[in-house]
Amino acid sequence: MCVCPGPRRIAIPVRSSRLPLFSDAMPAPTHLFPLIRNCEIGRLSSAVCYCHHKHLCCLSPPHFAHNHLRYAPQKKFATLHRPKENFNQFIHARSYVSTPQKFYLTPPQVNSILKANEYSFKVPEFDGKNVSSILGFDSNQLPANAPIEDRRSAATCLQTRGMLLGVFDGHAGCACAQAVSERLFYYIAVSLLPHETLLEIENAVESGRALLPILQWHKHPNDYFSKEASKLYFNSLRTYWQELIDLNTGETIDVKEALINAFKRLDNDISLEAQVGDPNSFLNYLVLRVAFSGATACVAHVDGVDLHIANTGDSRAMLGVQEEDGSWSALNLSYDHNAQNEREIERIKSEHPKAEEKSLVKQDRLLGLLMPFRAFGDVKFKWSIDLQKRVIESGPDQLNDNEYTKFIPPNYHTPPYLTAEPEVIHHKLRPQDKFLVLATDGLWETMHRQDVVRIVGEYLTGVHHQQPIAVGGYKVTLGQMHCLLTERRTRISSVFEDQNAATHLIRHAVGNNEFGTVDHERLSKMLSLPEELARMYRDDITIIVVQFNSHVVGACQNEEL
Amino acid sequence: MFLRLLSDGRWWTASSRWRNMASSRNSATIATEPHLISLPAQAQVVVCGGGIMGTSVAYHLAKLGWKDIVLLEQGRLAAGTTRFCAGIVSTARHVSIELKMADYSSKLYQQLEQETGIKTGVQIHDRTSISHVLVQKGHVTGVETDRGQIQCEYFVNCAGQWAYELGLSSEEPVSIPLHACEHFYLLTHPLKKPLESSTPTIVDLDGRIYIRNWQGGILSGGFEKNPKPIFTEGRNQLEIQNLHEDWDHFEPLLSALLRRMPGLEALEIMQLVNCPESFTPDMRCIMGESPTVQGYFVLAGMNSAGISYGGGAGKYLAEWMVNGYPSENVWPLDLKRFGALQSSRTFLRHRVMEVMPLICDLKVPRWDFQTGRQLRTSPLYDRLDAQGARWMEKHGFERPKYFVPPGKDLLALDQSKTFYKPDWFDIVGSEVKCSKEAVCVIDMSSFTKFEISSTGGQALEVLQYLFSNDLDVPVGHIVHTGMLNEKGGYENDCSIVRLNKRSFFMISPTDQQVHCWTWLKKHMPSDSNLLLEDVTWKYTALNLIGPRAVDVLSELSYVPMTPEHFPSLFCKEMSVGYANGIRVMSMTHTGEPGFMLYIPIEYALHVYNEVMSVGQKYGIRNAGYYALRSLRIEKFFAFWGQDLDAFTTPMECGREFRVKLEKGTDFIGRDALMQQKQNGVYKRFTMFILEDHDTDLDLWPWWGEPIYRNGCYVGKTTSSAYSYTLERHVCLGFVQNFDKKTGEGLVVTPDFINRGEYEIDIAGQRFQAKAKLYPFSSLFTQRRRKDEMELSSYQGK
Repeated sequence: MCVCPGPRRIAIPVRSSRLPLFSDAMPAPTHLFPLIRNCEIGRLSSAVCYCHHKHLCCLSPPHFAHNHLRYAPQKKFATLHRPKENFNQFIHARSYVSTPQKFYLTPPQVNSILKANEYSFKVPEFDGKNVSSILGFDSNQLPANAPIEDRRSAATCLQTRGMLLGVFDGHAGCACAQAVSERLFYYIAVSLLPHETLLEIENAVESGRALLPILQWHKHPNDYFSKEASKLYFNSLRTYWQELIDLNTGETIDVKEALINAFKRLDNDISLEAQVGDPNSFLNYLVLRVAFSGATACVAHVDGVDLHIANTGDSRAMLGVQEEDGSWSALNLSYDHNAQNEREIERIKSEHPKAEEKSLVKQDRLLGLLMPFRAFGDVKFKWSIDLQKRVIESGPDQLNDNEYTKFIPPNYHTPPYLTAEPEVIHHKLRPQDKFLVLATDGLWETMHRQDVVRIVGEYLTGVHHQQPIAVGGYKVTLGQMHCLLTERRTRISSVFEDQNAATHLIRHAVGNNEFGTVDHERLSKMLSLPEELARMYRDDITIIVVQFNSHVVGACQNEEL
Repeated sequence: MFLRLLSDGRWWTASSRWRNMASSRNSATIATEPHLISLPAQAQVVVCGGGIMGTSVAYHLAKLGWKDIVLLEQGRLAAGTTRFCAGIVSTARHVSIELKMADYSSKLYQQLEQETGIKTGVQIHDRTSISHVLVQKGHVTGVETDRGQIQCEYFVNCAGQWAYELGLSSEEPVSIPLHACEHFYLLTHPLKKPLESSTPTIVDLDGRIYIRNWQGGILSGGFEKNPKPIFTEGRNQLEIQNLHEDWDHFEPLLSALLRRMPGLEALEIMQLVNCPESFTPDMRCIMGESPTVQGYFVLAGMNSAGISYGGGAGKYLAEWMVNGYPSENVWPLDLKRFGALQSSRTFLRHRVMEVMPLICDLKVPRWDFQTGRQLRTSPLYDRLDAQGARWMEKHGFERPKYFVPPGKDLLALDQSKTFYKPDWFDIVGSEVKCSKEAVCVIDMSSFTKFEISSTGGQALEVLQYLFSNDLDVPVGHIVHTGMLNEKGGYENDCSIVRLNKRSFFMISPTDQQVHCWTWLKKHMPSDSNLLLEDVTWKYTALNLIGPRAVDVLSELSYVPMTPEHFPSLFCKEMSVGYANGIRVMSMTHTGEPGFMLYIPIEYALHVYNEVMSVGQKYGIRNAGYYALRSLRIEKFFAFWGQDLDAFTTPMECGREFRVKLEKGTDFIGRDALMQQKQNGVYKRFTMFILEDHDTDLDLWPWWGEPIYRNGCYVGKTTSSAYSYTLERHVCLGFVQNFDKKTGEGLVVTPDFINRGEYEIDIAGQRFQAKAKLYPFSSLFTQRRRKDEMELSSYQGK
């Protein structure tokens, strides 16, 4: 069978797409629709093969592995990156081999796929008074990789005010994204804690008393935490807060600084844990997988009207703003750290000798390999060559046998080339700021930000904020009004299919046709792609939509004035 | 459908005259002078709210002779819901007291035209808002307004949708559970040929809309399925400003209108009016005196029928204030049917969203609200739920209806709505069978439970005065007794246990928690040596019904439980399983043999588990209230709230044996009962057994069916159930004797009851019924104690 690595965010040599790097200990997604898989798979794959041959990108695996440097940044891959075009080819190609039968997923089947990972959280109302500036959030994920490499987290800070939400896009496996999704919020929460609370917590641990809960997680059942590593993670976290206690500056805590410190500290801990290793062989292997894989992070901290976005990598935070006339506009609250960001290119160039200028960014990738320019993990881009070799040699056999880990990036002279330090943007929420979308690049590469904000905005406000009709002084008959209203209702009825804004957005991202409306046929085809092929048409998509409470935001604003 | 709708074309004119009438003393002031006249320093009554309710109360108080009344309105008179309301007076109501109010209102409105110009003695001040009500020692003393204080003896809260908030702003909060929803109606320009004022009002319940003539055009509104609750956080400027027309929300109602009357398509729109209406948790309005503050009266929560009820409700409340009690039974509307537990804003918001659509829905029997549930539960709730319990709610408490056996499915909620034989028929049948042949356990923890104790004989003394039966019984005895009012009517019907010489344990119906407490507090001397405690929450009550209950309990307690050792209507504190201090009472509220167990809640799970495991070999199973109901009705047991009310005396329901007129002390209602004993009763509680009714095919009786004696209407049923033992339907109800010529009520003798041919009318079809004044003695299997012996000897006469 014909396989190819597709538009992975890290272009690396692989033998088989089924064993990208390490086989992660995650259950494979269940095969949802055997009917389609059995009947259509042949046709689908032959169609895709056809398209591959056209693009000359279907290479024999051994050849590929040996010539990664030349072939990894294949330009042809980039075309695969745009699913629309790609998809048309797919349909076009399909016509050559088409049979009269059609196999589509029924709408309920489509829904069950789209809704499998959806999660909603409503900030509880107390006696009708909502004290949080957040009404609640919807989140969802649609995998393209098997297993999915994206992660998401959401939690309420219990010892300080505020709520944390984040999306994490993993590459070269999901180990790093998983670890960051479990650990980062603890690091942030600890960074935000006042000295007295840290002391209290430390004393509790010291004397074996029950710990103050720091975070209340809001998790989908599929969002798991690693039980085995919890002790290890906890010890690292404890060391961090012990240092914070010793450092006690007595200054008030700045959220921006806290976020930056937490990001950097966690990345540092990931790196250290891999260098030190663990006597338990499972854990030892785990910390290495975490360090050698990578993840981007886009995290929001919301406390009253203060919204902080800390971003590392190319996930994005977008604010949905409702203008006075009711229309929607998008406000970027993060900068992508990739080759499209000139400031990032400048930054990287400034950090390395002039001699390397040409080799730093090639084919829009860091060292010609990595798409995001900032990330957690990815020690291949951070450690010295010596260190990498030493760790791999002393590491477990699985590590030693792996082509990717052994391979040192080209033109690797002055590491580190990569950092996890986030860019933090502070925004004061205003009553017109209705919601925030956090999403991995899987969404942003298929949809324009303006469309994203419009679709979510119209979804969240439903019909009520659709320009209200007023009769005013006009002559309107009951019949005319009736026609107008029925028409408006049919327009929005599709919205009510989804109870979750993130699901609604995914439906559009995957199923939109050229007219910007969801095409069921297209949606059905995209979702019934076998997992081996899905990655070529779309990336993992993870979305969190946070809805703000304009009443509370307005009230907070007035208080501050 | 005997829907009688009164399209009152004159209402708009009537309403303006109403205003003139009510404000006759200073109508000129209001109409012409922009200056506000100063408030009086004191008044007997201050009424808050110048809508239909406030003006109606003031009018009726004046009519009853009270002269010193001040009515305050924050905006303009009749400017709230009353102003914007659709002005429909309808007398089709499904609660009989509501029907009476609506009927009175419609007659009153027709009379008003003649009555205008009468001096009333009511002072009206508009543009005056009340900030709070002053309370001292649990009694209203005045109100604080934005224009100064007024001292007053009585305060009436008729603030409509603001009544909830105003209630909370009193120094001693008064909880008035109601919540506003947006309500829309459409006004159009006149038709080409303007509608005549005589055009009838049309209500299309399927389309959820009403339509009436309005200045030659139409006025049409409705009650949508997806109401928009508003002002949850209280008076909210943002929401008030946003009270715009919402056409998209009105779309289903407009579609319904054009479907019913396609010819209206060409009609030109004038306006879509948004006028919030207030709704209550049970779709019945709220009236009466606050249980916490004396002199604080309420009339609000009209569920969009304010105009229909205005006249009648105002009259009853005025009577209540002047005479101490209205001339009709208003318990279904009494504020005291609610407690603080129905006051949560979240609860109200959720519940009214369910209530408002119900206005247009068919009211099927045994309907349970779906929102605002699982508030009060027994500690066994989860255990019972896991065993298939289906629940109903009373006063916020979840009670099992019946238990669906594993593997058996009932109909979906929507499909289960019926007036015919319901889907639970066989399930309840098997529960009844089990309690006749083996033993059943029913969780009856919702009962209101009070303890009254004193240092000396004060407790006995006060109870002897408040209750009609003799409570000076040996320790351990249980007495069934009524708590009567001056007229001898039942304010409450309860069972009282004499725990020891100086303390008593009192069991009342679930919804008596507020009412009974208030009544006792009001009549008890303020003696610090006399203690009244609400212990409802302290005990879980299990009812073990059936012939084998005795075996289960004796096995669990190692104490013989046979009637020789444990006679009927007896209470002993004993151990059950490992748990000590369980109050075991030999009564079941059904007439069947068995025991009530009052268990301190921490032992509840233990005792339940023990009972179930030991009971297994005796065939024990869970049962619910439906089985209980069938059992008690076939035994002719009346329940307060369903069969008994404040206008029913023990003499009228065959309970003379529970009254001790000569117990040596006076008690409330004694004089009335003495008189009744002499003169005879004017209605008589009777049991009817349906003869030619086919349970499978005919519509079932539920309650409220007319009773015919020799072809003449003599009364209505109050409750009914299928008796699995008799295999017949049993209806309970009151028979009256109306004079053929004058319609006046005459004395009802047993002879009158016995010598008649009876029919019960179920939805237009009459079924022959056999009337009985006493239950079938064959249904009682157990040896009876003294008072029941009395009953049978009476029967022998």
